[in-house]
Amino acid sequence: MKLTRRDVLKTAAAGMAVPAAFAAPAAKLAAQGKADACIYIWLGGGAGHIDTFDPKRRSKGPDDPGSYYDSIATAARDIRLCEHLPGVAARMDRCALLRTVSHDINSQHGAASNLMHTGRKPSGTIIYPSVGSIVSNELGSKSDDVPAYVVMGYPNIMRDPGFLGAKNGYVYLTQIETGPTGLNPAPDVTDDRQKRREILLGRLRADYLARNDNDAIVRAKAEVSEQGFRMAGPQFMNVFDLESESSSLREAYKSEFGQRCLLARRLVGAGVRFVEVSFNLNFLNGTGWDVHQDGIVKQHLLIQDLDHAIATLIDDLERNNLFDRTMIVVATEFGRPAEFDAQGGRGHQSGAFSTLFAGGGIRGGQAVGETDEIGETIVDRQTTVPDYFATLFGAMGIDPAKNLYASSRPVPITDHGQPVEELFG
Amino acid sequence: MSFHRNKCLTAFHIVGCMVMASFIASPIVASDEAVQIRLFEDQSEANWLAPEGVPTFSYTEPAFGFTRIPVSFTSNALPLDRSWPFSLEATMTTVLEAGEYQFRLRSRALAVFAVDGKSLLQTKALAPNTASHEALPEAPADLGPVRALHAPHHDAVITLHLDAGEHTFLLVAVIGGKGLSPTPGELSVSMARAGEIDRLIGGKDAPLLTDAGWEGFAMAQDLRHERDDIARRRASDDAVEKAWAERHAKIRTWMESRPGPTVPDVADSDSIFNKVDRFINARLADASIEPLPLTSDTEFLRRLSLDTTGLVPSEKQIESFLSEPAELRRATAIERFLSDDSWADSWIPYWQDVLAENPGILKPDLNNTGPFRWYLHQALSDGYSYDRIAVELVEMEGSLAKGAPAGFSMASLNDAPMAAKADILSQAFLANKLSCARCHDAPFHPFKQKDLFSMAAMLEGKPIVLPESSTVPVREGGRQPFVKITLKAGESIDPHWPFEDVMRDIIVAAPPRNTSVDSRYALASTMVSPANTRFQRVIVNRVWARFMGAGIVDSLGDWSKATPTHPELLDYLAREFVINGYDLKHISRLILSSHTYQRKPDPADPKSPGEAGELFAGPRRRYMSAEQVVDSLHLVAGKSLDSEELNLNPRGDRALRQFLNMGTPKRAWEATALSNERDRPSLALPRAQAIVDLLSAYGWQQSRQGPSSARDDGPSPMQTLALANGATGTRGVRLSDDSFFTHLTLQDRSLDEMIDTVFLRALTRQPTDAERTMMVGYLEPYFADRVVPLADRDIGLAKGKKTDSRVSWANHFDPESTRIRMEEERNVRMGDMPTDSLTTEFREHFEDVVWAIVNSPEFTTIP
Repeated sequence: MKLTRRDVLKTAAAGMAVPAAFAAPAAKLAAQGKADACIYIWLGGGAGHIDTFDPKRRSKGPDDPGSYYDSIATAARDIRLCEHLPGVAARMDRCALLRTVSHDINSQHGAASNLMHTGRKPSGTIIYPSVGSIVSNELGSKSDDVPAYVVMGYPNIMRDPGFLGAKNGYVYLTQIETGPTGLNPAPDVTDDRQKRREILLGRLRADYLARNDNDAIVRAKAEVSEQGFRMAGPQFMNVFDLESESSSLREAYKSEFGQRCLLARRLVGAGVRFVEVSFNLNFLNGTGWDVHQDGIVKQHLLIQDLDHAIATLIDDLERNNLFDRTMIVVATEFGRPAEFDAQGGRGHQSGAFSTLFAGGGIRGGQAVGETDEIGETIVDRQTTVPDYFATLFGAMGIDPAKNLYASSRPVPITDHGQPVEELFG
Repeated sequence: MSFHRNKCLTAFHIVGCMVMASFIASPIVASDEAVQIRLFEDQSEANWLAPEGVPTFSYTEPAFGFTRIPVSFTSNALPLDRSWPFSLEATMTTVLEAGEYQFRLRSRALAVFAVDGKSLLQTKALAPNTASHEALPEAPADLGPVRALHAPHHDAVITLHLDAGEHTFLLVAVIGGKGLSPTPGELSVSMARAGEIDRLIGGKDAPLLTDAGWEGFAMAQDLRHERDDIARRRASDDAVEKAWAERHAKIRTWMESRPGPTVPDVADSDSIFNKVDRFINARLADASIEPLPLTSDTEFLRRLSLDTTGLVPSEKQIESFLSEPAELRRATAIERFLSDDSWADSWIPYWQDVLAENPGILKPDLNNTGPFRWYLHQALSDGYSYDRIAVELVEMEGSLAKGAPAGFSMASLNDAPMAAKADILSQAFLANKLSCARCHDAPFHPFKQKDLFSMAAMLEGKPIVLPESSTVPVREGGRQPFVKITLKAGESIDPHWPFEDVMRDIIVAAPPRNTSVDSRYALASTMVSPANTRFQRVIVNRVWARFMGAGIVDSLGDWSKATPTHPELLDYLAREFVINGYDLKHISRLILSSHTYQRKPDPADPKSPGEAGELFAGPRRRYMSAEQVVDSLHLVAGKSLDSEELNLNPRGDRALRQFLNMGTPKRAWEATALSNERDRPSLALPRAQAIVDLLSAYGWQQSRQGPSSARDDGPSPMQTLALANGATGTRGVRLSDDSFFTHLTLQDRSLDEMIDTVFLRALTRQPTDAERTMMVGYLEPYFADRVVPLADRDIGLAKGKKTDSRVSWANHFDPESTRIRMEEERNVRMGDMPTDSLTTEFREHFEDVVWAIVNSPEFTTIP
């Protein structure tokens, strides 16, 4: 049987696994990465790659497929970015792009987002864990009193631990203002009052334990009760107090999304392994990254906000000596086509889109993979979803081929994913 | 003043009317007692407003207000979808005084209102909506005391003069539309004379069209319809019930002619209450292990109550339990709790997990099912035999969106849904785990991929073609997979009973049939045939495990390598189950009445029980389930669950299957995944999220993409914090006006009594002396002056509207929608408004006491 390159790409996109004859050699570079924490910036809705990280010639109007903006040069030779990403452009020597990530879920946001968090489509037999839960399972947190996995966004199945179980779940917050759900007491409970409460509870707990001192279940319950309140203690909760940062730094991070990135840096500094930061501030342009119809008119506000936050985050991580071991990943569920819809916006495109990696030992200054002149088909080097995740896990020193176990069933961390080796070494 | 026949039926009313008459006298001189309603289905579009033929429903309502329509049922008692759309006709004749009258027709869809045969008012049709970029509607116009309009409702209003005498009112309304929610929204017709507030046209109790009037009326209508629907449902399947009873009689005769297991011959003793104990104690005696002693009576009550109702016992239940003579207490309680209405609620979460019920409220795309939770509730509360439940799930009939077993057939974005269903059914009812066979021959199980797909083809009713995704890619030159692959993608597999080795294809006393798909019926009949002892043994083992903390066969859904600890007991229970018509309650009664169930829990870690644990010297110690925690917390606080309607299209103008309406939860099992994979604040349901947060921490899975027989709900630090700090826990503890504890502490009772009551409600026991002393000492300084004098209370304090009903999918991109929901999130975090009847010092200290008690590990551990 003779296959053309086009056939291969088609097969790969449909089945999400490259036939062996064409796949890269075994993951020799896998599990060698140096990153010990990851900040996963999630551009929910489907960020258009040609309007951000893979700019093409500028469109002349609604009937002319192309980028919505001009492009600019960057600190890396031969790499151009959207004009609204000057901060990232100046730091492109420290960033790497995967410009040919690809899958076949083109219409459903939920299913595609799930894929870009778990690396797999739902099978109906087991629930696959999220990338954050896998990192939590493999690396744990750096300290007992800090959770391994924190989400800034809404709790939902794509972020869940699946078969890895509740111990690999996450702490989440939807707004900086309200703080992490469950960790801080109700707003009317002062520190003093909380102390009084815990004294009352401590006595009830001690008495109960004394009455059941040989009971393993009671002992376990009493232990997590104490451990929980330690976790909610000042050491970890102070991480959420952005006021303790200098006002100049807070101002440098600017927007609500920037503040989330600042919090992510503080969490990583405190020992959290995986922080997902959702960029879901849809009110900036009316649609978020899902720029159908006139949502595209103010898309640049999102891009500028993103640019500013990433640039500040990179600098801030560097200043805190965290950049070399903290990897930033910017991901989305799919890209968007070069053509415009009836009202000038864009539809969805899952066949080729971009993700960005920076820090954590990733080799910057490069863009891996190439799309055609309007960014719609892959010209060179497809990155499958398993490859994308293998790259992420490999960079964190996690073997992407390692088996996890859903009761007795072996489930490899990625579906035969091969790390994109250019990002290593 | 004219004689108001309908307003003045009692002395009380007469007084009321005399006082009111000069202000807002009802213009209705005389009327029919009720509004006559007829529903017409399958009408051509031309007849929507003038329906013809025989109505499918005729009934009455007290007034021209409609929020709910009777459900129609199949002869098998399954809810059915109506034609799209259907027409509702409402008529009433009334004698009026002469005068000017204003009529208001309020509807979100096409409707027409006529007086004396003359059309006066019309509203426009509900346009199916697919937009998501609409602007948030303006805040509804202020209509004074009249209830504001909720988009997309509109009002048509006319004022006209009517002569004195008899007048006939007629409303014809179109309900639903192709694929749309078949609900009327807030359909109403009201009338008013100059200077009056609109009142719904109707009988003597017709409410004013104010918020309070409408909400009270709607709630009453909902309750009435709920009751009537259930009555009609129960009456609709008498013939089917009879057919099942005949099957069970035949099976009983058949079974009794066959020998049953021998009950071990052990000497009578205090630790033997029934035959179950003889099986257990015989094995214990062989191993020289003593049975554990009985729990205390109140510990037993708490355990029994959680196991049969999902709730801690109420004060009243504790009181009546303790008032029984000691020797009768337990037996009486078992009977009482088995017939409690919450029996169904206590079991639903278990079957939701086992059967992978996985509805999505927003464009389901992650292996989602329909909400067949409602079928489970129906089946368990109407007392269906378990073989009937299994057969009806296989038959997959009824309405998908209303939660009939058709919902079980759905598996969104799954390219082999029936293979997924075959695996679920096979694990649930036969303990044959076929999951691995989805993509290859199972390496550790006796099943081939073909087995799963032949069963799937039986469900499909025709051969199934193996999809490419259900294979393991074999790479040229690559490592040979460890698993064996005997089927190729694209291969066609015929319907065929796959388990000849384990279970023969023999049918005894065929069950009643309710499907046109032959192979589905064949599958169901074989599965529940008593000749296949597997089904009955698997189910009784599941019941045993729920009550005892571990199965006789430990692995509940996979018996491939199973060795029962007590095979004869399993056979005994299975035989009892079959002889008694597959009645879950019969088996439950046997287990709950045993000394074994009523013993102190085994103290070993249930994950590594010693020999005593494995032989059931006592039951395994268990934690409360997520649903038990949430429901019990609310029961203790005397509060109902606080949630939005689980529905992202309250407007009702979108395809129902894309935007399921899961209603407003009353029990924790009614919660659902909030499906915000899009991560959009405007799609959040903050009040429901607070419940989901607590449930999730305790091991409830928001998504059930596959079946599960045991939850991962071991203790975790986050669990502790979710209850202690989360919004639901905060609500439970808060002394707001609707808290039981507010009412308790406003009473003229001693502090000791109050403390005792909190312990009793929360922990089903009295406090120890040390506990009482500690709590009294904590509260004493604030106790005497705790009540705020009436004059100082902030009466009429605005409680604030909790949920802005304007926000929906249609406008969720509007920045204002985002702002509104984010503000609601912050409000939920604040918890309920504290009562102003108690001083802040006392209230806060009392909240601290309640907080400490419900956060004690004792609250969430089953005795």
